[in-house]
Amino acid sequence: MMNALSEQVARKVRVVIVDDHAIFRSGLKADLDSRIDVVGEAGTVEQAIAVIAEVHPEVVLLDVHLPGGRGGGGREVISASSAFRPGTSFLALSVSDAAEDVVAVIRAGARGYVTKTISGPEISDAVIRVADGDAVFSPRLAGFVLDAFGTAPAEIADDELDRLSARELEVMRLIARGYSYKEVAKELFISIKTVETHVSAVLRKLQLSSRHELTKWAAERRLL
Amino acid sequence: MTTAMQRPPLVRSSDRMIAGVCSGLADHLGWPVKYVRLGMVLASFAGGAGLAFYAWLWVMVPTADESARRNSRRPASPIAPSVSMPPEVTTPDGGERPLPLSAPAPAFASWFRTRPIQYGKEILLGAGLLLVAAILIARQIGVDVPLGTLIPAAAILGGAAIAWMQLDETRRAGLVDKTKADQAGGWVRLAAGLALVVAGVLVMVSGSGSWEQTWLALLASIAVLGGVALVLLPWGLKFWKDLESERAARVRETERAEIAAHLHDSVLQTLALIQRRAGSEQDVVRLARAQERELRTWLYRDAAKDSGLLAERISAAAAEVEDAHGHAVDVVSVGDTEMTDRHEALVLAAREAMHNAARHGGGAVSVYLESSDTGSEVFVRDRGPGFDPDTVPEDRLGVRESIVGRMKRHGGTAVINSSSEGTEVRLRLPVENVDKAENRNGEAR
Repeated sequence: MMNALSEQVARKVRVVIVDDHAIFRSGLKADLDSRIDVVGEAGTVEQAIAVIAEVHPEVVLLDVHLPGGRGGGGREVISASSAFRPGTSFLALSVSDAAEDVVAVIRAGARGYVTKTISGPEISDAVIRVADGDAVFSPRLAGFVLDAFGTAPAEIADDELDRLSARELEVMRLIARGYSYKEVAKELFISIKTVETHVSAVLRKLQLSSRHELTKWAAERRLL
Repeated sequence: MTTAMQRPPLVRSSDRMIAGVCSGLADHLGWPVKYVRLGMVLASFAGGAGLAFYAWLWVMVPTADESARRNSRRPASPIAPSVSMPPEVTTPDGGERPLPLSAPAPAFASWFRTRPIQYGKEILLGAGLLLVAAILIARQIGVDVPLGTLIPAAAILGGAAIAWMQLDETRRAGLVDKTKADQAGGWVRLAAGLALVVAGVLVMVSGSGSWEQTWLALLASIAVLGGVALVLLPWGLKFWKDLESERAARVRETERAEIAAHLHDSVLQTLALIQRRAGSEQDVVRLARAQERELRTWLYRDAAKDSGLLAERISAAAAEVEDAHGHAVDVVSVGDTEMTDRHEALVLAAREAMHNAARHGGGAVSVYLESSDTGSEVFVRDRGPGFDPDTVPEDRLGVRESIVGRMKRHGGTAVINSSSEGTEVRLRLPVENVDKAENRNGEAR
């Protein structure tokens, strides 16, 4: 992990911040550390799509609720941008911790979700992690996952997408308990890379699963 | 005994014969409704004074519902206290004021008590038939009754009554809100009333009684009515649309007012407090956290989620600790379960653990609650310097008694795991009896 991080120092991660509050954007910009280079900002859905297309960032820090567009907020930005920018990852950022908001952006393709009260070093770590192709789960998102997929491990192979494996459940539980990836790795006697693999697998399931709790959420909120 | 102050407001009663005017008046005056009705009928013979008075009251006096709605908009009216009086008032001698339909003095109650009229329509119909019979008998005897004007007049009155009753406030609400079937019934009645009135007017105006002439006049008048309707229809539609949009605007305005009221009571107050306490960082953080929590509950509260369950109690305990220590306590809960005495103990132990974490941890506290069919688990984690549970002195009741001992007594376990990177308290309460336990996790396994 430390090696991976020190390699990042040489190559700054190019980031676009999308949030409709200028005061929050400037605060976040000040909070991000030297490994990150903010190359653009946007305040609405249209601006965000234009800026992302123009500067090709590696990571977009994306507010879930945004004015403009067709009213879809962050979801709309992701679906509009991912078509022609496959190299860009999205990290959702929100004050809202309502399940439908979180699950909606994750299912639209965001690589992670953090709340706006997150500290400067934490969000910088999260950005680096997303830039490396990993997933970022907050304790609350892990809680949603456990709520939606259930806390019993998968036994049958064919509902693989709809259940979490025993190991994935352990990882999710520890994240929900407030453990960092490093602490999860230590607790389970596995490497950080393995933790990241598990989290990415859970993210994929969260995005692709047709488990009825997830589809019900989506259907109720007309997200499908 | 009944002073003006204690009089119920003058409203039209729901115990109605025609429009509830008489019983409303009786309530207001404290007289037996029978006599009011009798007086009204008698007054009608005095040149129709009773009828005119009745009609005037019908138009001017609101129904009980209307009046209640109006008063609720102006909750405390210092100008007209009698208007905003609640319907049930205690009399000075301490007894409850009798219900609106009973007599004021208990001794005469049995004499004056009137039952709610159950067969109002039937009685009206009977009276009408009796009147017709009387007229027929009078004709037999040889008295000259001007039937030519009487029948059309009766038709007009009856039709108008049927149509107007539709427009009475309570019925109108029903007309708009109730099911389609009711609405259709309402329209049929309106049409019947209209037809009666039109027919009555025609017969009265033509005055001949000749069927052919009446038929012609009817055709002509229908044509005229149709023409007028055709001309007025766009106006009517526009008026209706304006009314609808105005109503929608009013609903939005009410919603906005509710949100504004809430923001004013909570957020603006907190912001004001924060400005005044700007010097103290801890106070500001505490205020902001408390306000955030409150606003979150208000915005994202899940109506489907039952209240009073374990997850809510744990969140409440976390909020309490947050307020007491000024450190954020984040609660993540998965699944939920009904509260029992044992769960009460779990909440108390968790609260103690949160207090300790906030007091000694010196930073954010993470709380994770998981409830499933096998039991409930609570994890409380802080990032403090840690401590060795074995070195806690005997006299320190916090950990030993409130957490470990309490969990043991209720058949649970408490494990404290502390290192230099933080402390985690793990509380586990297994389900006592699998058959009895009600699981709320909602997961099919």
